[in-house]
Formats: sequence, C-alpha cells, structure tokens
Amino acid sequence: MNINLKILKNDFKRNRAGNLALLLFMTLAAGLVVVATIVVTQLLTSMTGMYETAKPPHFLQMHKGDIYQEAIDEFNSNYDGVTAWQTVSMIDVYGDDLKVYGDSEFSLSESRLDIGLVKQNKEYDFLLDKERNIITVNKGEIGIPVILLDFYDINLGDTVELTNNGVTKEFIVTAFVHDAQMNSTLASSTRMLISDVDFEDLFGKVGEIEYLIEVYFTDKSMASDYQTAYQNEGLPQDGQAVTYTIIFMLSAFRDIVMALILILVSILLVMVALMCIKYTVMASLEEEISEIGTMKAIGLSFKDIRNLYLKKYKIMVTVGIIIGYILALILSNVFTDHISNTFGKQPISIFTISLPLATCVIVYVITNHYCRKILKKLKKVTVVDALVNGKGFGKKERVKDGLYKSKKMSVNLLLSMWETLHNLSGFVLVFLVMFIVSGIMIVPMNLLNTMKSKEFINYMGSSMNDILIEIESGENLNNKYEIIKKLLNEDTDIKEFKEFKRVRVETINSEDEWMNLHVDSGYKAGNELKYIDGRAPSEENEIAISKLNADALGKSNGDSIILKFNDLQMNFIISGIYQDVTSGGYTAKSIYNFAGIEAKKYQFTVNFNDDVDVKEKASEWNDKLGGGYDIEPMEEFINQTLGGVSRQLQVTTIAVVLIGILLAAFIVVLFMKLRLAKDVAQIAAMKAIGFTNYDVRKQYLCKIGLVSIVGIFIGTFISNILGESIVSVTLDMMGIGISRITFIINPLIAFIILPLILLAVVIGMTWISTREIREYNIISLINE
Amino acid sequence: MKTIIQAKGLWKELDGTKILKGIDVLVHEGEFVAIMGPSGSGKSTLLYNISGMDRVTKGEIIFNGEDLANLDDEKMSNIRLNKMGFIFQQSHLLKTLSIRDNIVLPGFKANSNTRENVNAFAEELMKRTGIDHIADHDVKKVSGGQLQRAAICRALINSPDIIFGDEPTGALNSASAKEIMDIINQVNVEGTTVMLVTHDTNVAARADRVIFLSDGNITDEIVLGKYEEKSLFERKNKMTQWLIKQEF
Repeated sequence: MNINLKILKNDFKRNRAGNLALLLFMTLAAGLVVVATIVVTQLLTSMTGMYETAKPPHFLQMHKGDIYQEAIDEFNSNYDGVTAWQTVSMIDVYGDDLKVYGDSEFSLSESRLDIGLVKQNKEYDFLLDKERNIITVNKGEIGIPVILLDFYDINLGDTVELTNNGVTKEFIVTAFVHDAQMNSTLASSTRMLISDVDFEDLFGKVGEIEYLIEVYFTDKSMASDYQTAYQNEGLPQDGQAVTYTIIFMLSAFRDIVMALILILVSILLVMVALMCIKYTVMASLEEEISEIGTMKAIGLSFKDIRNLYLKKYKIMVTVGIIIGYILALILSNVFTDHISNTFGKQPISIFTISLPLATCVIVYVITNHYCRKILKKLKKVTVVDALVNGKGFGKKERVKDGLYKSKKMSVNLLLSMWETLHNLSGFVLVFLVMFIVSGIMIVPMNLLNTMKSKEFINYMGSSMNDILIEIESGENLNNKYEIIKKLLNEDTDIKEFKEFKRVRVETINSEDEWMNLHVDSGYKAGNELKYIDGRAPSEENEIAISKLNADALGKSNGDSIILKFNDLQMNFIISGIYQDVTSGGYTAKSIYNFAGIEAKKYQFTVNFNDDVDVKEKASEWNDKLGGGYDIEPMEEFINQTLGGVSRQLQVTTIAVVLIGILLAAFIVVLFMKLRLAKDVAQIAAMKAIGFTNYDVRKQYLCKIGLVSIVGIFIGTFISNILGESIVSVTLDMMGIGISRITFIINPLIAFIILPLILLAVVIGMTWISTREIREYNIISLINE
Repeated sequence: MKTIIQAKGLWKELDGTKILKGIDVLVHEGEFVAIMGPSGSGKSTLLYNISGMDRVTKGEIIFNGEDLANLDDEKMSNIRLNKMGFIFQQSHLLKTLSIRDNIVLPGFKANSNTRENVNAFAEELMKRTGIDHIADHDVKKVSGGQLQRAAICRALINSPDIIFGDEPTGALNSASAKEIMDIINQVNVEGTTVMLVTHDTNVAARADRVIFLSDGNITDEIVLGKYEEKSLFERKNKMTQWLIKQEF
C-alpha cells in the first residue's frame, strides 16, 4: 500500500471524529457550491436554449383595437436594425369563460392573468413543450400554460370548456405550453394554444381581439430606442410595451432569487468549512505536538513534515469534494425542477458539466492554499518547544486573577463565564458559526416575509388598498371610466377611493434626446410608495419618478425636468425617486391633472369600511360590470403575482433553515468532541476536587450557550442590517426597478423563534455531546 | 482511636487482570499511612479505590460510616469536595485560573463557608506554604514545587478529614520534596489523616505506618510511630532494613 494511504488510514483510525468532520465539511461545502453552480448554469443555459428555439420578441407592443399593419410594416422597413417583425392575433377571454373538467370541476375565474387563445406561429415566438419541441395541436385540442399548474390541478386529457358570447366549445388538454415571453406570474398575460382551425373558427366570435406586435433587431439593446420612436410615430399602442430584457428578467426572477440564496449560503458555508478545517487541523497538530517534535528532532525538515500533513488533507479534501459533487448531482433536481418545468428540459452540455467541475477545482485550490497557510505554523515550533516545554501552536490563553472576588454567583456559572471571557479565542469557532448560521437563516426568512407581506406592493408601484381597479386603453375608455366612477360614488361600503390617470408625455433623456414618460396623475399620486430619495409630489409643478426613469434621465432628487405635452413645455421639479417594478419599472407620479391629454389607462384604489368582505365585493362588481374591467382584491393580486416566487422562496428558505440548524448541530458536536479531548485533564481535575458530572456538563452548557447567545444576537442584528443591503444591491443589479429594499420583518420569527430554535439546538447538542463525561474515569485521565 | 476508613475484601480487575486481590485496610483518624511496593503492585489503584475516585470490582469501603462503593456520582463528589483532599504527582491545577483562584474554587463550590472566609483561609494557607507572593500568578509560570504547594492549599481549603497523595513529591527535586513533606507532616500533626503512595523511603519514613503491597496483596506493614524530625535518620534505617526484608 502507498505510504501516504497507510499514514492516512492509521490517522483516520486514531482521530476518527476530527477527520470525519473534515471530510463532512468538505462534502457539504463542495456539494452546496456545486448545487448553486448547477442552478445558475441550468438557469442560464435553459433560458438561452429555450429562447433560441422559441425566439421571443426583442420588443413587444400589445394592442387592442384597430391595427394598421401597413403603417407598422412601413415603419419597420425603414427603421435601421430591424431584422424581422410579425403581428400575432390573440383572442382574449376571461377566466370565467373557461371551465375545466377533470378530477374536479372548476373555472379559471380566480386567475388574475389575462388569458389569450393563440395559434402556433410560423417563424418566431413559438410555444414549446417540455422537450422544447414546437407544439402542434389538432382540432379540438388545447395547450395549457405551465404557469397555471401552480394554481390549478389540470392534467393531460382533461376537458376545457369555453363559453363566451353564446358560443360553447370543448377542448381536450393535450399539451403543457412553455411560453418564452409569458411564463411568469409577474407578467400580466398568459397564452393558451389552440389549432389553426379552431382559432379561425372562434376569431371574431368570442372574446376580444388583442394584437402582439413583435419586432426583432440585430441587437436586442435597440429595443428601448425603438420603443420611443414607435410610440412617437403614433403606431398602434393601446396596451403594454415590453422589451426583451424585461421578458428575460420576469421569467427568471423566481429562479434568480433562489440561485442568489444558494450562492449566499454556499459562500457562507465554505467560510464555515474553512474555519472548521482550521480548528480540526490545529486540534490535530496540538495533539500530535510530540510526534512533530520527534520528527523535527530526527532531522525531518519543515517541508517534509508539512507535506506529510498536506498530502493527508489533500486526499481528504479531494474525497470530500468528489462525494459532495456526486451528492449535488443527485440532489440538484430538487432545486432545478422549476427551471426545467418552466424552460423545458436542457440537454446536458459541456457547459453544464464543466462549470460545476470548475467550481470544485476552485474549492480545492482555496482549501489547499488555506491548509498550507495553517501548516506554516509547523515552521515556528522548535524541538524544545514541542518536546520539553510542551508549547502548543494555539494562541496563549490569558490567565487573570480575580475569580475569588466574586460574591454570590454560582460556581458553575462563575467558572464558565470566567473561562469563556478570558479565553475567547477558544470559542471563536462557535461564535462565528452561530453568527453566520443566524445570517443564513434570517436573511432568506426576512426576504420571504417581505415578499409575502402586503406592504411589498409598495415596491410594485402601488399603495396597499383593498381593491385595485384598472381600465386599460382600448375602446370606450372614457365611458368605462364614467361607469366606474359612478359605481364608486354610489357604493356606501366605500370608505375612500382615489383615481389616477396615466398619460404619456415626452421628456429629455440623459443623451439629450426626447423620450416618452408615462405619468400617473391624480390626487395624492405617489403617496405610500417606497422612496429611495425625497417624497411624493405635493405641488402641481412637482413630479416623482421611478428609479429606472431617474437612471434613464440622468436626474436626481431636486433636479428639474421639462415635460412636453400638447405642444406645451412645462418645468417640473423632481420631488422624489421611488421604486417600482410595474410597467417595466419606467413610471412617474404627479398631482398635476394633465387636462386635455388622452388617458392611456385609469386606475382606482379603493378602501372599504371595516366590515366589508373585499373578495365578495370584487366578485359583486365583476358580475355587475361584466368584462373589460380589471377589478382585483389587492391581496389576491399579490398572491397571484408573487405567490410563485414566494412559494419557491419558501421551499428554499425552509431548506436553508434546515441546513442552518443541521450545520449548527453538527458543528457543536464536532467542537465538543475536539474540546472535550483537549480538556480531558481539566475535567478529571475538577471531578477529583469534587465537581459532579452534572456540574461539568452544566459548565460546558453555560460556555457554549453564552458564546452562542452572543453569536446569535450579533448575527441576528447584523443580518437584519447587512441582509437588506445585500438583497438591495442584488436587486439593483438585476435592473428591475428596485434598488433599495427594506425588509418587512416578522419580529416574532426573526428575533425570537429562529434564534430560540438555534439556541435550543445548540444547547441540546451540547448536552448530548457532554454525556460522555459521565464515562470519564478520573484516574485514567489524570494519569494520561 | 476512631476508624476513618475500613476497606474489606477489595478486588479490582482491569481488562481481565486482577490488580487488587481481596485487600483489607484500616486507617484511623489522624493517622499518616504510606503505601509502598514495586511498580505494578497495585498501590496507586488501592489509593484511588479507597478514596472512591475509582470503583472497586468487589469489596466494601466504609468511609466515616458510609460505603463508598454504593454512592452515586453526586454523593461521592460531595464527599470528595468536603471530606477529602487530593494531591497528585502533577499538580493538576486548572490552567485557566490563577494560583489563588484555583485554591478558592473548591471552597466556593462547597458553599459551607462565606466567600470572605474562604478567601481569608486561602490567604492563610498560602502564607503557611510560602506561596502568598505568587497568588495572582498564572499556574503555567511557576515552579513545580510552588504548584504542589498550591495543590496542597487546594486540598486543604475545605478542611478535609483525610488527604490522599499519589507520589506528591515524585516530580520534585529533593529540596522541594522536603519542603512539601514538611507541610504534609504539619497538616497531619494538626489532625488531618494522610494516606499516600510513594517510592521514596524519605517520604515513607515520615509516616506513622507503612503498608507494603506486592502483586495486589498486602504482604507486610511496619509501624514507625509519630514523626519527629530528629528521628528521621533512625526511621529511615528501620525502613531500609524492612524493605530489604521485602526484597524491594
């Protein structure tokens, strides 16, 4: 057998706990890093792969009403950089109109997504199946978007019945649609695929026709300039306009959040692993101090001895990483399920294999380098230190006189506190682990709570109200506005309502070019939003703009901007910059009434008296008004838009909390194992002078408990402060319109339950670990 | 004279090896008993079993009327804390505490006296043993002789009925050993029973009685009577003669 393997085998037998711990840490750290890499790689490759096949548009303008295709064609032909365009027709129906018959019967009335029936496209913007094949459905068949499966139990073979405008038609579900551009609950619409024959049959007879004007460029980044030019040209634009970047971000948001948490946790875990490696290596060096002294005495050089240890650690780190890699490959499905469900199955590529392998190599290099650094300590120790003086490698414990001054404190507590306070370096591992684990658990928990909270709506450009009513541009917009206003004025259940009109004006961007600006105007517009800087407009000449608009305009709070509308130019002062993810994050708020400008959209926020059932009210109004009005209880809106993200985040958070707890438990066991081995003589001495096993165990409980409480306490507070910054910076980088998030913390969970669970685990594991003290024989320990 | 320890039929087996083979020992209050014997004869094992630090395989150890073999950890610890004192070959002081803190610790733990009184008594013991000037020192920075004195102070802090010593001078030079034994003799004169294991004739010669152990059995004992310094030479001679007889 190879001499190194022989040494390793013997060493493993001798110091099983320490070596096993080292192996486990490497496995855990490598495993998690690999999972995070797999998720990110999978997400990017899957999305890219899907987008390559599906070809979603670089710019999309939704439009209801007459379409002037010749004008669009002419504009696009003359616009430099446009490579292709198409106009897709969509039959918009309401969820109420669709009933599903399968294991159970239900309608899709609860869905807040606008449902559009489409046929498969010929060249661009394809709807795909899970294998990324372009779906073909036959007459009488329907493809259901996968995102609806989050809310509804729909299976292949179920029947979907469409009833609208006196027409009834049945479809059999034969496919689940993976839609590159509308596959997020954060989007406002979703598409169902029907056959060309059925589409032609229903076209004009049911629902409302909406057009998707899709444009492709030589370079995707041309989309925003094109948008301004397109809108200024007065081309069809009665609906939302979306660019490729927004489509991409909205689709990936849910998985990006999860990937970010995994990356954060794996970085922290690698840090914990490195700390534990240091602790285990140092413990093993301390234990083998006389062997090291002997090796030096018989003439082995520092390098010889270091390599002896290094080879051992290299083998263990390699084995740990290999096991971690294999485990990660097996377990990564849990985390990548949503990705493959949403973006389709990604064939294994060199990229998906090599990147996780590359991260393993990085982990190996970092660990190896770190071990070398630790082993440098071998250089300093002399033969005399090791063999005669018995000096170790660790920091010298400071001994202070003064315990005798204590007047009342119980001896166990006194001794524990004394030893802990005067030997903090001995407990630094426990402190740092508790600090980090608190962060690992609390940051995702706070993020989850924030996203689940009603107040999160403030980041979405809306204030928290009972009901939100929206009427988008289209036919009879003003008529619909009057109907709603009358309804609201007459309803006595309403405590208050506010109305906002969205208008489009022009302003000058940072490159001195005119660009469009969508402004929501109305009394108290912009109140209750989350401002990064400044406040809501309070004067008529003030305007608040979203973060992304502030970036585009190159303006900050207090600057003035020129707004051009109705051949009129007016100066406005920026009163504040707020966060918004709606309308691609490009919005503005003003209390100026912009009279005479055509409204693009009306929004009403309604609050009821206390005893009113909001859901019932929404459904009553929906029944009364019929289609064409978007009436949504805000809670339902949040649940449906962010529900998917929250649920995914919840799964990840639970996994992270469990990892945190297991990590804390495991490290306490490891720490206690090594600590007890080190303290054996001290424990024997204490037992010999009359301390009971129970006393000694209580002392360890106090020591670990004390350090853990401090670690958890500081960790909890720091993670509440730093966690916000980390999440804010990340969201800012994603460019979705949120650049500073304030955690909505559930104090019971963040400050009491999680820390208490962690503390209970630590105390429980310490108590269990110290059970072996009962078996200690004073005599054998004293004579050791 | 009142009996403090009565051990009857002590057997100790470790990994199948019989170390003590049915030993009977009687120790009286105020007595100074030394145990001698060749290496591996079982003398340390006898001391640790009699003191309740180790559990006998079979037999009875009556200490102040209580059978130590049947006591649980809490009761045994309580006896070790209040009624017994221990001095080992190495001092086994707690490395994280100063000399003074090590000494007061069992006193604080026993809680039978106020902390002021414990501190005052510790001060007195340190003065008597000549270590009061290093009271606040780190235990890792004082000499072996000073450490053993501190260990004696710690053993005495709760005024125990008996002090057990396992080669208490084994790691010291002759001058330090003499100083330590002077202190132990003084403690014994003041009424504390002493029982110790030693290889050293100089140490054993200070005892009232010396038990000789061989292969797990008590083979002989010699009564020397109360120690007086002027008779040390004579006692040592007597001991040497006796040891020759034991083929030691």
